[in-house]
Amino acid sequence: MKDGVVIEVEGLSRRFGHFLAVDKVSFDVKRGEIFGYLGANGAGKSTTIRMLCGLLKPSEGRAAVNGVDVAHDPEGVKRSIGYMSQKFSLYMDLTVTENLEFFGGAYGLSRRQLAVRTDEVLRAVDMIEQRDTRTGDLPGGMRQRVALASAMIHDPPILFLDEPTAGVDPEARRTFWQLIRTLAGQGTTIFVTTHYMDEAEYCHRIGLMVDGRLVALDAPEVLKRTHVPGRICRVEGSGASRALPVLGGLPGVLEAHPFGAGLHVRFDETRTGMAALQAALHDKGLDGFALTPIAPTLEDVFLAVVEAK
Amino acid sequence: MRYFIRTVQAVVRKELRQTFRDKRMAAILFIAPVLQLTLLGFAVDMDVDNVPTLVVDQDRSPASRDLLARMLADATFARTQEGDDPDGPMARGEVSVAVVVPRGYSEDVKKGRPAEIQVLIDGTDPVRAQSAMAGVLEFLTQESLHMATARAVAMAQASGRAVEVPMISVVPRVFYNPSLKSPIYMVPGVAAVVLLVVTTVVTAMSIAREKELGTIEQLLVTPMRPVALLLGKIIPFALLGLIAGGLVIAVGTHVFDVPVRGSVLALFLGMLLYLMSTLGTGVFISTVANNQQQAILGSFFFIMPAILLSGFMSPVENMPEWIQLISRLDPARYFVQILRAVLLKGAGVEDLAGPLLALLTFGVGILALGTLRFRKRVA
Repeated sequence: MKDGVVIEVEGLSRRFGHFLAVDKVSFDVKRGEIFGYLGANGAGKSTTIRMLCGLLKPSEGRAAVNGVDVAHDPEGVKRSIGYMSQKFSLYMDLTVTENLEFFGGAYGLSRRQLAVRTDEVLRAVDMIEQRDTRTGDLPGGMRQRVALASAMIHDPPILFLDEPTAGVDPEARRTFWQLIRTLAGQGTTIFVTTHYMDEAEYCHRIGLMVDGRLVALDAPEVLKRTHVPGRICRVEGSGASRALPVLGGLPGVLEAHPFGAGLHVRFDETRTGMAALQAALHDKGLDGFALTPIAPTLEDVFLAVVEAK
Repeated sequence: MRYFIRTVQAVVRKELRQTFRDKRMAAILFIAPVLQLTLLGFAVDMDVDNVPTLVVDQDRSPASRDLLARMLADATFARTQEGDDPDGPMARGEVSVAVVVPRGYSEDVKKGRPAEIQVLIDGTDPVRAQSAMAGVLEFLTQESLHMATARAVAMAQASGRAVEVPMISVVPRVFYNPSLKSPIYMVPGVAAVVLLVVTTVVTAMSIAREKELGTIEQLLVTPMRPVALLLGKIIPFALLGLIAGGLVIAVGTHVFDVPVRGSVLALFLGMLLYLMSTLGTGVFISTVANNQQQAILGSFFFIMPAILLSGFMSPVENMPEWIQLISRLDPARYFVQILRAVLLKGAGVEDLAGPLLALLTFGVGILALGTLRFRKRVA
């Protein structure tokens, strides 16, 4: 195991019949890192996670989680990871504590360990007061925290979260991500899949999956710099559709596309600028547009990468 | 090993909690069997008595009235109607038997000529028809015999000779169920059926529910062995099944006077092996079903033939040869056999080696098959 690396993936592939779900994926995840795995549905995110959790045998390549090979010792892998799926697989007819007790038992915790850990994880997810509530009576955001608590009942060094915030309200999502960052700060490694681009910003590094292949991998800022070079400005005003062909044809403009009621225009700042764009519009008799610089989002990265393919 | 036991314990505790939290489930397990037994025990009463009977007395003589009065004195028949036309009331289902005494009956008897009595029987329900027919035949045969004997005696006395009438006297003695009460025959069968339905369905549903809700996936990422999960599912339902089974037998003995003549050990050993079979079948069904509806449907595919072939209503020996062969695969058949033997005939473990062994074989086989399939599907 390389220094500080807890997940090592090399040329990992998985085939279902003739369909190649995951195609020679390689990456490393370091201890305490929040690693985001991004991609559309069917891009191979879940298949990768299932291989890393020891649920699915790889067709080719190798992967080691916490130093344990997933193909040779899937049970060994299971012991050192926690897994939380988008469905929050809890027993709705049991209370919060009863759920934790059951999953703790499934990991073979003794009664004493269980009592200690139950308190610890409930405190960590701030659910001490709801400990005797039936899980089914809790709102979605709280259930999600209970699911996280039960995924870490056995104190795993690595947590796999498969779309953990699907169907949860924005407020609860924010709380959840604060929790994730705290956990990572304490040394837990987090491997998380999501299709919410705003959430991906919280990750230390992001891997982008398209059609089973890992097409980009880096920190969010670096991805933005490499895949969305230049500056972006938003163009707002009536008649934005007439402005589109004008701006799109200017030298130095890399890209212009409709966005909401207005436009997003990306340009090379060494060749042109916002004043030049405004002037070009004025020359064509198009006035009254407001141009504001905006920061590129991971959505822009995602679109740029997919288009480049 | 210690880890393995802990995981099994965790599942058992969880299953018990869920079972008792869900009021409906607890009701299915305990109230339903007792209720079903009581209902079935009373409803499936095959004793034939109080058969509604129409009397058509065309002779209207003291002899005919006397004959009819004595014939209907027994509780087998109940005179519900009198009239001249037997067809209408029978077609309408108002009576099941009609007795017609034709004009000239008393005259024929007096003169020593053969007399005729017409008996019409509704054959829609063969069991009832046969019992009614047997009742009528027996009464009238006795009656003829009495008349014939009386006449022989009278003739002999008239000619001054001594009388010797040869007769066979039948002394029947019925074993195990002397008063031939049908609940005593039915209750063991009903007990087997009730246990079959409850345990198979509950097990199949409980695993299918985990699949349906997705909780099974959460279990698969734990290092828990699939066998531990299955054991954890089976143990509580086996225990609850034993309790429910004991309850059913208790109701049978208290409400229906079913005796317990044999070894209680053999009874519970048989029940345990039987439950192994039914629970194993439930596990097997759950490996085929993806949700709870499919689990229920699948269970009934097994339960219906298992009940019909168990011999709880009609003896297995009366079935065609090839069906008897198939019924050898039916765990309910062996358990019904064991129950009847223990409860009514006072059998012990040593008398029941055959059926016990058959249940053990079936139970181990289906459990192994279910476990293998379960492991394959989750892997």
